[in-house]
Amino acid sequence: MKSVRSIYTLLILTILIQGCAFSRGTLGDEIKSDTVAALQKGITTKDEVLRLLGAPDRLLPLNGRDVFQYYRYDAKAGSLLLIILNFSRLSIKSDDLFVILNRDGIVEDVIASKRTEALAFRFWPFGE
Amino acid sequence: MRSIISRMAPLVLGALVCLALLGCNVIRVSFNTSLGPEDVTFIVPGKTTLSEVVAKLGAPDSIIDSDTGVVATYRFFDVKYSRVNFGWLAKPWTPVDPDLIFSRTGLGVDAFQILCDSRWVVLHQEFQRHLIRPPFHPYPFQ
Repeated sequence: MKSVRSIYTLLILTILIQGCAFSRGTLGDEIKSDTVAALQKGITTKDEVLRLLGAPDRLLPLNGRDVFQYYRYDAKAGSLLLIILNFSRLSIKSDDLFVILNRDGIVEDVIASKRTEALAFRFWPFGE
Repeated sequence: MRSIISRMAPLVLGALVCLALLGCNVIRVSFNTSLGPEDVTFIVPGKTTLSEVVAKLGAPDSIIDSDTGVVATYRFFDVKYSRVNFGWLAKPWTPVDPDLIFSRTGLGVDAFQILCDSRWVVLHQEFQRHLIRPPFHPYPFQ
């Protein structure tokens, strides 16, 4: 009886999994939390920032200061394809890091967040 | 007679649901987490700093300079697309591949902007479009 149930479960799972698709795309290098933690306000210099993170993706002049912006995008798509009824969901999130340097080239402020950590594969398009 | 109807009811209902879902596609694309007015009530112009905003909402997507201060922008969108092809109903009985498609796309593109002074204190905050979340139905004539 148990083996019959297992076969049915396997059969149902096989049918369901057949109509699934997962894909992923990323843009930019990962901004590591350790690297962000190494940036110290009032201490770290522009050269050290460049050594730790490389050249910024964008360089912004801001009120007489320089802002280095680093970003990374992560996209995860999931689809449930049941031939006559298809559900798909693509979620994109970004990690952003702004390093604000004062006129002397010293880090004045660091603004960072990692949104991609909570990014999951989803196919159900309803709800949040 | 009543028992036959009660037995048939789930089958008929199931068939109707299947017919309604024939050739149906529902797609959603979202970029970052959508923000609403309820998410930014903690911001008090003249008091709240950018650091406090970042602590709650994360880093903005862009920071630009303006004549009156610094503008931080949070961008997000929530695109919903649904499509039903009623041509599927005729497929078993016709040699051609008929299509009768109803589809609808809702582009929920918005941004939240805050203007800060040189000390990073928020002076103004506002949504760009006051996003109304688009509906999830394929009927385009409404």
